[in-house]
Amino acid sequence: MTRARSLADRVQAWDRALQAVRSHFRGQGLHEVLTPVRLPAVAIEPYIEPVRADGGLLATSPELPMKQLLCGGAPDVFQVAPVHRAAESGRLHAEGFHLIEWYRRDVDERAMQADVEALIETTFDAFARPAPGPWTRHGFLALLRETTGVVLRGDEDAAMLLDAVPAAWRVDVPETMPASARTLYAWSALLTSWSDVALDPWLAAQGGGVHIVDYPPPLAALAQVGPARLGAGEAAHRFESYVGGIELSNGYHELRDPAEQRRRFAAVAALRAGHDLLPLPEPTAFLAALEQPGLPACAGAALGFERLLMLACGATELSAIALG
Amino acid sequence: MDVSDLKKNAKLEIDGAPWVVTDFQFVKPGKGQGLYKCKIKNMLTGSVVDRTWRSGEKLVAANVESKKMQYLFSSPDAFTFMDNDTYEQIELPVDVVGHDKYFLLDNIECDVLIYNERPVGVSLPSHIIMEVTECEPGVKGDTATNVTKAATVQTGKQVQVPLFIKQGERIKIDTRTGEYVERVNK
Repeated sequence: MTRARSLADRVQAWDRALQAVRSHFRGQGLHEVLTPVRLPAVAIEPYIEPVRADGGLLATSPELPMKQLLCGGAPDVFQVAPVHRAAESGRLHAEGFHLIEWYRRDVDERAMQADVEALIETTFDAFARPAPGPWTRHGFLALLRETTGVVLRGDEDAAMLLDAVPAAWRVDVPETMPASARTLYAWSALLTSWSDVALDPWLAAQGGGVHIVDYPPPLAALAQVGPARLGAGEAAHRFESYVGGIELSNGYHELRDPAEQRRRFAAVAALRAGHDLLPLPEPTAFLAALEQPGLPACAGAALGFERLLMLACGATELSAIALG
Repeated sequence: MDVSDLKKNAKLEIDGAPWVVTDFQFVKPGKGQGLYKCKIKNMLTGSVVDRTWRSGEKLVAANVESKKMQYLFSSPDAFTFMDNDTYEQIELPVDVVGHDKYFLLDNIECDVLIYNERPVGVSLPSHIIMEVTECEPGVKGDTATNVTKAATVQTGKQVQVPLFIKQGERIKIDTRTGEYVERVNK
């Protein structure tokens, strides 16, 4: 049962958490930036819908403008960015929220996992709450196998994947989509089904923090693909971090290849077209910056501010700490 | 309608029957599809099932309208209501009214739900005041509410009431739970 907090208490909690986050990153030599909220284009994602704003789009994440700063020569940066995602509303979702997003040059996603742990610890400390721990790391496919018995390699196309999963998980993949979009769709559907029936309950039962790593390449999003960190074969250098079953963070060893980035955006755009979702503009300025001057080697992560604050306050739903 | 329009009390048509969403939860695995986890109730049979939809799925809204009507009288098979605007009378079969029959006071005004021109249910006010027609004698001076006794109200409904309630007194009942709320003075 969450204790009802007065608005004055909530404002104090926000202020304390913001201060903890800022001093944490500044102490590590990162620079705070602010990037625009209304953008000409956002990262094209399969299931993240931007809010349209008078010819532009409200940022769903500050990722592209922050990477453009890095392309332009900026040092390591962080921000607490207001973001909007249409039609997301629930106990742990709000259409408007804040992402703590940060980038470090010359490191990979493993350094960002350590950052996530440290940032959570600093914030919990500020609320005199014991930080979650210990943290464990699990490869996506190994955890899938452990929690469901489903064995996959990670390089299956849509047809192979649908053959390999339980009948209840099968989805109709529109024939009209190109192969890359079909594969992305089938893997996204697998993630959704797995989360629903097995992964979420498993995560909720873990006492400490959990990083899921080594995503199958079709679910790489904006991460590089390379040798798996924990298992064999190729995997996306992407991770997601959970505390008490609640997803807090998502991070990448950032993809730098503009041709591969274009291919991935095109696959998502084709998936969106197959779902009858509104088409999104190509992020041309971001793609141009990837070409020239190019993105320096870097890793980035995003962590939901309100969810972090909620956990640090011992609350169980966002409404308990919301200011609006 | 799109699944993102789902909310509590949304009315859906599934396999030719009207369903109402009674419980609703939105969850979303990282970068996966959103899931709309619902409990839905068949408005014809009252059966409740769990259903999960994914973002992007399309649903059909049930063509359910509600009309203000007045309850007139009952027969063994049906309850008769009158449309307040047209004075037209319609009959709701006993099984469609279900437990709501215990709240149908004479001349009470309520919303009758119409699905494809067929009455499928009654939407009652959240609280109704009824008279206790039968109960054990009141215990004088005992105003504690955690000890209860059985009472019968004018529609024949049985309800648990505090010991101080006397026959002939009026009480407020919550129509959603069927439970006693408070005594109504005068």
